[in-house]
Amino acid sequence: MPASPSFRRGVRDSILILFAIGAFGVAFGVVAVDAGFPVWLAPLASLVIVSGAAQFTMVGLLATGTAPVLLAVTGLGLRHLPMSATLARLIGPQPLRTRLRLAFILVDETFGLTVHAAATGVDDVVAYKTGADLMLYSGWVTGSAVGAWVGDAMDPAAAGLGVLFGLMFLGLAAPLVRRRRDWVVAIAAVAATVAAIALLPAAWRLTSAAATAALIGAVRHE
Amino acid sequence: MNDLLLVLVAAVITFASRVAFLVRPRPAPEGLVGRFLDVFPLALFVAIATGALIAPSGSPEVTPGLAAAIGGIVGGALFHRALWGVLAVGAVSFYVVRALAG
Repeated sequence: MPASPSFRRGVRDSILILFAIGAFGVAFGVVAVDAGFPVWLAPLASLVIVSGAAQFTMVGLLATGTAPVLLAVTGLGLRHLPMSATLARLIGPQPLRTRLRLAFILVDETFGLTVHAAATGVDDVVAYKTGADLMLYSGWVTGSAVGAWVGDAMDPAAAGLGVLFGLMFLGLAAPLVRRRRDWVVAIAAVAATVAAIALLPAAWRLTSAAATAALIGAVRHE
Repeated sequence: MNDLLLVLVAAVITFASRVAFLVRPRPAPEGLVGRFLDVFPLALFVAIATGALIAPSGSPEVTPGLAAAIGGIVGGALFHRALWGVLAVGAVSFYVVRALAG
């Protein structure tokens, strides 16, 4: 497979992702160590979870307890359902081992590239996604390891790390705001979070605010 | 639950959600559940950003984090909602306001 044109195209198309995800991985390593992870656990988390959203959320909610973390990770994981349904259609019948491997790195970036490549006539979708996944995975894990190692020697408060952490989530949310309904969800999430901070124990503020805002968005018909 | 176990459970949850429709192909969720899943990531990201930028110590307050939030929104508007645009303009706003505020 590594010699196939589709694999090489997947690698080539993902070069920018390698650097962007690598930088993102460094940020995760720094934040994870600041949140209390041992240095070795940050790259291990990237190795086994392979989800920036889930991992940043996990370390962001770490202080609030186990239940909110797992609830949020489950909620974020559920968005993979439509993605995996789409990918299943794109790859067609494949051995179980291949499907498990492709599922392991089913992330927004390489999923988007794969959908685009399939739409523009790539010969072998599986080989293409494998090449793209390899680039993303290596960048993510390596970046996390570097960030964890560097992060241990940083003063997070002096660097304004908490603010950068918040900005990163704002940046992750920005491309998701595409329609009027999304604006409603975003504004509802701000309002629900401020209300939850005033009314609820710390452990349940963010997940309940997010669930409330998502429910508002779900019932809103366009 | 210790941190290692938490990471492993999160990995299992994430993988299970990714593999479900690849092992047994079936239609993606539709209707209310589908729409909820569609917007939940956005809602969660905004909630986390709000908590970190507007209420860093557990209650809403005026801090340089608020300038970062406004700067991030402006950066997103200026640079087509690119992550780097939000981070760059938001971070510059934060550090400038923090320096001015002493």
